[in-house]
Amino acid sequence: MPTMHSLTLFELNSLVRQVIDSTLTGEYWVEAELAEVRESRGHCYMELVQKEEHTNTPIARAQAKCWRSSWALIQPHFEHVTGQPLHAGMKVMLKVHAQFHEAFGFSWIVTDIDPTFTLGDLARRRQEIIRQLKEEGVFDLQRELQLPLFCLRIAVISSEGAAGYGDFCQQLAESGFAFSTQLFPAVMQGEQVEQSIIEALNSIYSATGTALTSEDTEPTAPFDCVVIIRGGGATADMSGFDTLALAENVAQFPLPIITGIGHDRDECVLDMVSHQRVKTPTAAAALLVDHAQQVLLRIDHAEQRIAFLAQQQLATLSTRLLALQGRIPALVSLARTRHEARIAQLQQRLAGAATRQTDKGQSQIDLLSAHLAPLTARILEKQRHQLEMLQQRATSLDPSLLLKRGYSITTLNGKTVRKATALKPGDEIVTTFEKGNVKSIVK
Amino acid sequence: MKYEEALHQLETIVSKMEQGQYDIDELAEQLKNAQKLIKLCRDKLTKADSEIKKILQKEE
Repeated sequence: MPTMHSLTLFELNSLVRQVIDSTLTGEYWVEAELAEVRESRGHCYMELVQKEEHTNTPIARAQAKCWRSSWALIQPHFEHVTGQPLHAGMKVMLKVHAQFHEAFGFSWIVTDIDPTFTLGDLARRRQEIIRQLKEEGVFDLQRELQLPLFCLRIAVISSEGAAGYGDFCQQLAESGFAFSTQLFPAVMQGEQVEQSIIEALNSIYSATGTALTSEDTEPTAPFDCVVIIRGGGATADMSGFDTLALAENVAQFPLPIITGIGHDRDECVLDMVSHQRVKTPTAAAALLVDHAQQVLLRIDHAEQRIAFLAQQQLATLSTRLLALQGRIPALVSLARTRHEARIAQLQQRLAGAATRQTDKGQSQIDLLSAHLAPLTARILEKQRHQLEMLQQRATSLDPSLLLKRGYSITTLNGKTVRKATALKPGDEIVTTFEKGNVKSIVK
Repeated sequence: MKYEEALHQLETIVSKMEQGQYDIDELAEQLKNAQKLIKLCRDKLTKADSEIKKILQKEE
């Protein structure tokens, strides 16, 4: 076995170091994704990764370190500009130079980080989330909701004991309106933001859901709106507010959500999908107080208007009443005159009709009486004539006239004897002459 | 008797009289009736009028 010249690991690593030191002398700007970030004793240690597009399979991986001296300058600037600290999953552009240490191996030494690149990447991601929300048709859902007129029962999502939450409650309490708040505690910073806020929203929803199903008639939700607030303070990690799942939950929440998560940079997705956004918890309280005041103003205005309209209507009615009242006496006397005229007319007709009727009777009587005299005269004349005739006839039959002419009348026992055979011998008959009688005996 | 009823009866008497439907024996009787009805109507009218005037005065 030939003697092989071997190197110690240190010698070999020294070779590598020499090569690297001599060939990779400059500094490079590199784009990479952070797979891991941790701070230790003021230094920042990172795991950089490049993933294949679409498959997410890492195709490059490297360690990177930022020494305390640089990190102390880079960190505040980065966080100020991006609004969040370095964290896994973040895309960064780093200024690096190579370093190989025999004992610690290869790593990129970070001397600067360009926050605008990360900002751009975050914006791109936000745009992607927004596009997806719009595609799902949920992006504008919250803005289509309306704050109820009496928006007083507030579900608050905030971290317990945060200064912002205290300010919010105090401001509502000082407003004089009957606000009631219920806190649904959530983590408002770091990686748990998404999960924690979604859980809080679910708790609010189930409280609302129970109320909706337990009431048969008018369902009353226990809350009028949701407020998500975060105490201000220094710029902190906002990345948790820019996730699709949280945005979807907020966008589709049935109650209006007001966000006041206190940040200065461009709005985050949570702000975009919420019903209304304000910068701080106190601004959120101010918004609610202002809303209540507006409603109060509306009520006051409506009250005044109702009073005004009622008075106006009363005045109109009163005028009409007066006008009607004024017409009454004339109408009454007119009615009276009409009735009197009617009665008078009837009376006149009555008198006329009665007179006509009596006149008619009178004229009938007159007519009859006019006829009566000639009629009686005629009757009398007729009777007289009849009487005369009878007299004449009577006169002509007078026996004395016959006696005068020489005739005589024979009677037997007072009866005129007309036949000789009516007599028998011995009868005493009386013969009457014009002058005197003779008694004779029949033989 | 109500005013309208009285007036109606009065009208009936007048129109019957105008049509000569009463004989002389009835005439005087009906005329007497008619006068009674006229008086009734007049009285009611006067009473209503004075009541209305009283009411209107009260309101003023």
